[in-house]
Amino acid sequence: MTSSSAGYILSETLHSLRRNPMLSFASMLTIFVSMVILGASFFFMVNANYMASTFESQLEVSAFLNQDITPEDIERVRGLITVLPEVASVELVTKDQALAQFGQNMGANQSEIIEDLGGVNPLPDKFTIKTTDPQQVITVAQQVETITGVKKVRYGPGVVEPLLKFTQWLRWIGVGIVILFTVASLVLISINIKLNVFSRRREIQIMKLVGASDTFIRWPFLIEGMIIGMIGGILAALTVGYGYNWLVEYLTMTLTFLPVVHNAVFFGEVLTGLILAGMLIGALGSTFSVRKYLRI
Amino acid sequence: MIQLRNVSKMYPNGAKALIDVSVRIEKGEFVFLVGPSGAGKSTFIRLIYREEKPSRGSIILSNKNLARMKDREVPLLRRKLGVIFQDFKLLQDRSVLENVAFALHVVGTPKREIGIRAKKAIELVGLATKEKVLTAQLSGGEQQRVCVARAIVNDPMLLIADEPTGNLDPETAWGIMELLYNINKRGTTVIMATHAREIVDQMQKRVIAIEAGKISRDEAHGGYGYDV
Repeated sequence: MTSSSAGYILSETLHSLRRNPMLSFASMLTIFVSMVILGASFFFMVNANYMASTFESQLEVSAFLNQDITPEDIERVRGLITVLPEVASVELVTKDQALAQFGQNMGANQSEIIEDLGGVNPLPDKFTIKTTDPQQVITVAQQVETITGVKKVRYGPGVVEPLLKFTQWLRWIGVGIVILFTVASLVLISINIKLNVFSRRREIQIMKLVGASDTFIRWPFLIEGMIIGMIGGILAALTVGYGYNWLVEYLTMTLTFLPVVHNAVFFGEVLTGLILAGMLIGALGSTFSVRKYLRI
Repeated sequence: MIQLRNVSKMYPNGAKALIDVSVRIEKGEFVFLVGPSGAGKSTFIRLIYREEKPSRGSIILSNKNLARMKDREVPLLRRKLGVIFQDFKLLQDRSVLENVAFALHVVGTPKREIGIRAKKAIELVGLATKEKVLTAQLSGGEQQRVCVARAIVNDPMLLIADEPTGNLDPETAWGIMELLYNINKRGTTVIMATHAREIVDQMQKRVIAIEAGKISRDEAHGGYGYDV
């Protein structure tokens, strides 16, 4: 391509943007809205996922040992638990540690409590077990329960199952929303671009008749699509960015227990992604829509 | 210059627009295509500038067979042709000069040449005083002149006109014919499909009549030949 053509293509692009301001604006608005929806649903998905993981990571199995267990037996039990493939970590909480913690919670020191309890520490030794996958909590609990020396196993039955089901749903809903809105925005944008190209089919036809190559005809549409997509993407990134920040601030103040993702790098990546996606969609949409009118 | 050999054109819906047509047109000729509407004139025209491909037969234009031409070669073919339509096909929101220059821009003509050549073509069709006017504000005859200027600005070897006077009053039509006549005299081959009886009768050029997809008459100096 000669430099003269390049200059002409650029001036054609600007000309078309100026000439169809309403249509350009509508395309930009479509991409803007689509990208906002996409960005918001993406943040929703990531947070749903994060929330699910946070809830799940709080799941653990407590294995209480027999009161009269010997230190050797404790090590034997630890060994048996550690070899289970689903186990990620095993931590011993001795009866003394348990008592100290109990005392801390009650606001009293250890000797006072023992005195109050009649000179005996009634708390058993305990293993706190974390599993590699939260879904395995129940299996691990059942296996640990059969080990001799283990008196009782607690994993919060009746709470774990619904919680796991809930987190699973949370993840699916997050993914579902992203897929749904991606499809919706693609449809919306392609309709809009088709409209835009359709309104200029006459121009395309004339270009074909005077011998313009297909590449030459495509360029202005491609650049125009990219510019419109970029503007829409930038506006969407700003909206989603400020909106999310505001929401996070609001949530951390009112619903303090709710875990939310607040990671600057990730945040930047998503917003950059929105701008690039806008440009890509604009450019691809134009190219594909023009193709139909090049068959003359 | 251009030669059709046993050309047939069937459309996907089964309609036969041309049936086994063979004809030869020499360089520098002025040819009228006449015949009833729907007889195949427009198909004939569209085959020559390769908007359509023939279903059978070959079309040779300056040693190239259009029937076998690849799509990406078509732009190069069209740069050697000028095409004029009944409905002008101008960019309404641009000036006369921009419309003519458009044809030069899209084929990558160097910038300094564009202005000079476009102005020359506009002068030739008699619109020198209106080069800055938007085409939407011109009369039908003037718009057709812009179309002619755009068609000849690339110095085509062949000028194809599909009912160029169809939308014009007789007086204006004659103005356009005079232009085409002059262009032809400078050596450009002209093929014109028309229903304008008076023009064909009076110009006494070669007349090819197409009826029901076949050439029914081919006279070196003929008249329109149909009673309305």
